[in-house]
Amino acid sequence: MARQGEKGGLKNASLLAAALIAAVLAWASAVRGQGAPVLSPVPKACETPGAQVIADSPLPNIVAALKERKKITILAIGSTSASLRGPVSGGHYAIVERFLETTFKGLDVQIVHRGVSGELATDAAERIKTEVALANADLVLWQLGTADAMAQVPVADFYAVVSETVAWLQQRKIDVILVGLRYARSMAKDLHYQAIRAAIQDIAKKQNVLRIGQYDAEETLEKLRHEQGVLMSDTEVTESNYVCMAEYLARAIATGLFVREHPPKQP
Amino acid sequence: MVRAVNAVDFWRGFALVTIFINHIPGVYLDKFTHRNLSLSDSAELFVFLAGWSLRHVVGRPEDPTPTHQLIFRLGGRAITIYAAHMTIVMLAIAMLAASARILENPLLLDWHNAAAVFNDPVNAHIGLVLLSHQLGYFDILPLYVVLMLFAPLIALIHRSAPGLLVPLSLAIYLSALVFQITVPTWPTQGQWFFNPLCWQAVFVLGFAMSRERGPGGWVRTNISWIRLVALPIVIGGIIMVWLRWWPDPTSVPEPKLLFIAGKTFVTPIRLIQFMALIAVFSALYPAIVMAAPRAVHFLSMLGRNSLQVFCAGSVLSLAGQILRYFFRGGFFVDTALVAIGIILLGLTAWLSEWRDRVKKAA
Repeated sequence: MARQGEKGGLKNASLLAAALIAAVLAWASAVRGQGAPVLSPVPKACETPGAQVIADSPLPNIVAALKERKKITILAIGSTSASLRGPVSGGHYAIVERFLETTFKGLDVQIVHRGVSGELATDAAERIKTEVALANADLVLWQLGTADAMAQVPVADFYAVVSETVAWLQQRKIDVILVGLRYARSMAKDLHYQAIRAAIQDIAKKQNVLRIGQYDAEETLEKLRHEQGVLMSDTEVTESNYVCMAEYLARAIATGLFVREHPPKQP
Repeated sequence: MVRAVNAVDFWRGFALVTIFINHIPGVYLDKFTHRNLSLSDSAELFVFLAGWSLRHVVGRPEDPTPTHQLIFRLGGRAITIYAAHMTIVMLAIAMLAASARILENPLLLDWHNAAAVFNDPVNAHIGLVLLSHQLGYFDILPLYVVLMLFAPLIALIHRSAPGLLVPLSLAIYLSALVFQITVPTWPTQGQWFFNPLCWQAVFVLGFAMSRERGPGGWVRTNISWIRLVALPIVIGGIIMVWLRWWPDPTSVPEPKLLFIAGKTFVTPIRLIQFMALIAVFSALYPAIVMAAPRAVHFLSMLGRNSLQVFCAGSVLSLAGQILRYFFRGGFFVDTALVAIGIILLGLTAWLSEWRDRVKKAA
């Protein structure tokens, strides 16, 4: 916990990220020639050497949905802005939808947006149960933690409600991806913020849930921009970060589908 | 001269105070609001009493307000609420922007659905004006605007066929539930947090119950046994919430919204429990007046000036959230924030009535 401000953390974590990218590329090449889709790498602006952005875990239930129906329904819950200006129309989840539909020919991806910005995990937890039932969701993208951290929700309460909700979803064969806290320089030394972040990491690890380390990615991207002298306004940074988060998310889901469809051969 | 203290204003004031507290997520005192023991919360009470208050504009059956006056007055009220909503939304956006600058925390720009305003200002401002883009916790007044725009129609249907209004309203409500009809948001993708097609039922029931003719008259005649039926429902609701005995939404039959608890659609479980709550607690008002007359006076004053107090409460609750973040919350900070907030709500109501008195004196 709270290692993100340390310079050494970047280098140490680089091995994990490199391994992840290498693994994805290896899978892609392993199945090439079998008619399987090939995952394109993340855009250059979203490359995060040194950060463990995707804590890899399986998505068994959407694989079944893909096989049975060629359609997956994704429920987006949480507090991200689903609105983007400029060339990316339809919000950042549209990037996920387009990527998956392009990668997996014939796949119909439906994303149901039910995010309520600023909602605490305890309120979202109740709503998730209703919304997954109404949408018949195969996968829940749950962006969580920031509102709870800002509202000083006790870590134990947050942990309990998220853990219980993840278990509830897993019992009903609904996959879940936890999208963690956002990065802000001022929060690097905020103990409560970091504790909530660690709680999400721990839940993901213990309950074998795929997690997108948004904080790690955004922190790395900021350092890279600083090193490379890239000048961007706060708004541009936010927008760029949302795009990158969607790119990671798309690849995380694709990887989950891809590996199950075509498991890499053991050497 | 201001209205005498009465039950409707008292309960409206009660709803305003609890909404203010509930809109500071994480605040310690939130645990003591009635939503912790009830399937419904103060949002239902606020909308129900807004419908009830329509009676003041519509007039008595023997002395009805002329139709053209009714349309102009309710249309004017809708415009006033809209203007109030736009004002507090702009204040909220400025508060978030200023806090992000002062506290050097860009995450505050993302709070409560404000991100689109800063990241996509062209579309977001169009959405704000069209009410298709709403900030979190600033989403009741858009519903109120829509309800007030349709209020003349509601009043006229009741005037011509008092027995038809509630069945018609419930038919729209049930259609929205069965077919999951929602009102989309834009430019962010999603749905209105308060689905007007469903929440109109709460508003219409409030109006219908306030009238001597139609269902309101029937309820008045049979209130004793209605309370006998309502009491176990209220107790059952408390047990459900306390023990978290929710129906599993994935297991209930279709149409699922008829069997699960949900605020956006104010589902039947919530609506029935809320109506039972109203029936039971309306009996307690005389006892509350006896036990706590000062509190009744204070809350009635808030209720008489509900729009001003609601607006002040919305802005103060956001200020409370920002201050909680800055001061890290905790029992003493939370208590101080809520106490100061309630005093300021009282000051808002007092200033509003003082201004009216000065105007009349002049």
